[in-house]
Amino acid sequence: MSNITQPGGDEAEFAKPLYTPIKRRSFFMYAGATAGATALLLTGCDDDDDNVTTNNGTVSLGSGDVGVLNYAYALEQLEAAFYAQVIATPYSGITTDERAALTAISKHEAIHRDFFKAALTAAAPGQIIPGLNPDFSKVNFTDRNSVLTTARTFEDLGVAAYNGAGSLIKTNDYLLIAGKIVSVEARHAAYIRDLLTPGSFSGSDVVNAQGLDQALTVAQVLTAAQPFIKETLNGDNVGK
Amino acid sequence: MNLFKIISELEKVDPEIMDRLTHRRSALTALGDLSKKMALAAAPIAIGSAFNKAMGQNTLTTVAGVLNYALLLERLEYSFYDQALKAATLTVPLTGAARTAIETIRGHELAHVTLLTSALGTAADPQPANGFNFGNAFATYANFLTFAQAFEDIGVRAYKGQAVTIKTAGNPNNVLQTALQIHSVEARHAAHIRYMRRGATAGNQTAIMPWIMNADANGAPAPVYGAGNPVATFPAESNVAQGGITNLTTALGATYDAADVSAAFDEGLDSTTVTNIAKSVVTF
Repeated sequence: MSNITQPGGDEAEFAKPLYTPIKRRSFFMYAGATAGATALLLTGCDDDDDNVTTNNGTVSLGSGDVGVLNYAYALEQLEAAFYAQVIATPYSGITTDERAALTAISKHEAIHRDFFKAALTAAAPGQIIPGLNPDFSKVNFTDRNSVLTTARTFEDLGVAAYNGAGSLIKTNDYLLIAGKIVSVEARHAAYIRDLLTPGSFSGSDVVNAQGLDQALTVAQVLTAAQPFIKETLNGDNVGK
Repeated sequence: MNLFKIISELEKVDPEIMDRLTHRRSALTALGDLSKKMALAAAPIAIGSAFNKAMGQNTLTTVAGVLNYALLLERLEYSFYDQALKAATLTVPLTGAARTAIETIRGHELAHVTLLTSALGTAADPQPANGFNFGNAFATYANFLTFAQAFEDIGVRAYKGQAVTIKTAGNPNNVLQTALQIHSVEARHAAHIRYMRRGATAGNQTAIMPWIMNADANGAPAPVYGAGNPVATFPAESNVAQGGITNLTTALGATYDAADVSAAFDEGLDSTTVTNIAKSVVTF
């Protein structure tokens, strides 16, 4: 079991269907056309400090909208790897209903992950972060409470991350797409919370007295996510 | 139903409807063509869609406009849950954990009303004079939950549909983030209502999930899950194309079911479509 690393190690093969660029010419400027390739850069991105570096195990998420996409891609990688493991080694006592729902969630997260990989490959192929190596050593995958508590952490964190990142996004279509995904993460969060404690779908630990869900900064989210990722993520320039 | 009633209804939604109509040649052309082809009984639906085409999508352009639209939807939702909790027909089924959950949701909707009213200040629209009439929504527990699902799911779509409007309007005071924080709470509500419906006695929807697969309405009005305007921006919930990638079921290097792809992305909806759907099931 348990390949919890990312599939799609062969980047060229993986990216093959994705060569059709996003058809939103206004998002891009042509940085130059050479004989074989047209390089595309997202507008608003500096071209001198966005290269992903993996020196010393540190991964820079980059800046501007590419940074936001990499940020989302990193979180979705984490979620997808987690649920893949949950499905591969179900906790003891898992019900048929739970297995079906968690399988669906694992598909949603894999789709999100693959979508961001495709979007980044199309928009900024030189700036996409690599597949990350998750660290789930503190999760007991045989134990329902350990699995669902971790799932709740990831889902609530995902909601707060997208809520906080929305106003960093410069491109309208990316904002709409982030909105399309965050509500699905919220649906997941509600379901997982109800599994753990019935009726806690929007508990006061995540929804405040004004009826508002959490919104966290990139730094806050990365601090919470970092213990589950072997590489060190640097999100200092996300959205900038 | 008659045309004058429909125009009258639309005028309540959009006071400038007649101006738009008389100044939009395409709308009149569409109406002319349709009137020759369509049976009278079917005309209202056809006319409705012609109006949508002519009026465009989000008629809202200001932050105050968006917030008043949100305020109307939140007032509707609050009133819906408040009436449900007080309905004699629901006293027996709506007990225990179910009642607690609905009270929690009602509390959030009231908090949203309070927040939006406060943010709008003197620009806040007044309450609908005659309140909200939900018809037979409270006749049975199953009816109630079906309506609740529709209101929550369309609420999610409505907020999502205004994100770009707020951004384009300059996002003063980071209203966008606040709207997103409300948006995800509505999604939590939607997931829980759907979870409640899984019980056979609560709507006989044993296959329903907390998320929206394809454009399955599960007994709710189908337009809640249908396409908005323009369809390229606000497709139906069954949409499997995202970010310029035409079909995520096959384009991602792995094969995914359409049900999973569509469920992985909730779709937005324009204000005109949302308001028209609300008007079709609620009198206000």
